[in-house]
Amino acid sequence: ENREAMLNSRSNRLTEALEEANRLFDGVCRAREAALDAQFLVIASNIGKEKANELHSEMSAFDSTAFAEDLLTFMGINRTEVEESDDTEDVPGGFLPSDAWQTMGEEASKYFRRAPTFHYMMGSFKSESPVPKQRIERQKKASRGKAERAMPAQLKKMEESHQEATEKEVERILRILQTHFENDPDTPISFFDFVIDPNSFARTVENMFHVSFLIRDGLAKIELDEDELPIIEPVKPCGEREDSRAGARNQVVLSLDQKEWK
Amino acid sequence: QVSELVQFLLVKDQKKIPIKRADMLKNVIREYRDTYTEIVNRAGRTLQQVFGLQLVEIDTKRHTYILINNLPRAEGEYLCKDKEKEKMGLLLVILSFIFMKGNSVKDSALWEFLHLLRVYPGKQHRVFGDVRKLVTEEFVRQKYLETTAIPLTDPPEFKYQWGPRAEKETSKKDVLNFVAKIQSKDPTFWASQYSEAKA
Repeated sequence: ENREAMLNSRSNRLTEALEEANRLFDGVCRAREAALDAQFLVIASNIGKEKANELHSEMSAFDSTAFAEDLLTFMGINRTEVEESDDTEDVPGGFLPSDAWQTMGEEASKYFRRAPTFHYMMGSFKSESPVPKQRIERQKKASRGKAERAMPAQLKKMEESHQEATEKEVERILRILQTHFENDPDTPISFFDFVIDPNSFARTVENMFHVSFLIRDGLAKIELDEDELPIIEPVKPCGEREDSRAGARNQVVLSLDQKEWK
Repeated sequence: QVSELVQFLLVKDQKKIPIKRADMLKNVIREYRDTYTEIVNRAGRTLQQVFGLQLVEIDTKRHTYILINNLPRAEGEYLCKDKEKEKMGLLLVILSFIFMKGNSVKDSALWEFLHLLRVYPGKQHRVFGDVRKLVTEEFVRQKYLETTAIPLTDPPEFKYQWGPRAEKETSKKDVLNFVAKIQSKDPTFWASQYSEAKA
């Protein structure tokens, strides 16, 4: 108790307390009382230490209130407008802009030698951007919880997201193909019409890549039509099992370069 | 193994929590050999030469390390997420306050000061969220701040000082210059702080 009062540099209360303790000690005859006296001494010396510290910091007086006001000024406070809020009374008036701490942070970064944080650059075939983005967030949350396994955990997840993104793409393309055939079962699609993206060569290659999975899994087939141009159609799921086994499992290499594509 | 260790350190540094030697051994080097020191030294050299980062041991007893930026400060924009920047702003303000007040402040004094900047421990902050958590947990875990209990206080009070990461990533001189800039004064205005910063 009365700690603050004792700490006051102008107060002699600590000295008075010590003197009283000395007097009382003469009357001590039991161990318990001596223990109490020792406890008092410890507290008194702590207070004494704090007082000494306060003396030191008062030497080059630092006005923290003025510092705070100058900081607010730096952060762009508008003192002409009074903020309508339920803030406490003793806060000086003025409107602090929302980027106040941004401004402060911009200045602050000049004073720290902070290593920029290192992150893996995620994904290459990001055809459906929302999906990989979710995965990146989940990865970050996971690694936060398992700090020690940060590296192995992240590498594993990166591989998974590659596979899943491809599978999703393949599924999507299959659905497009099937939908077209539901609507118009007698017209097979020209393979080139199907895969070529007139605006992007890379996209075209991607599409051919995904279609090749469908062929491999027997979900679609490519045939040559009367004009010797390839057409693609989905394979009907049932009743064609023997056919696909007996059917020619051909391997075809398709090459397409940018000039041809154009 | 050196490049594995380099990658490990870079990833671990993301959260800015100091890296323990035990973790390095467990995950990368896997058993204590005499080659451990050599591997760590080489990793440090790679970090310096390739990334301009310095591997510093901040606790020689418990063997914990941090990465700091050894490149000279460049002019212009800093590539850093907004959230990070704002936290650094708050941190610099706190470090300045602690230094100017004699290198150690009571938690009550610190919050009283932050109060003036519209930052309150009990109230969710628009930018920082749970500020009390940010200051007493995050900054402390990252070793920017160090907190010690003041003995025999009831309810328990704490004092704050600079942590080892703060000592390495910035300096008293830099911080004094910051204060001087904000207050449009010469650093020599605060004589004892100035001589301490020069030392």
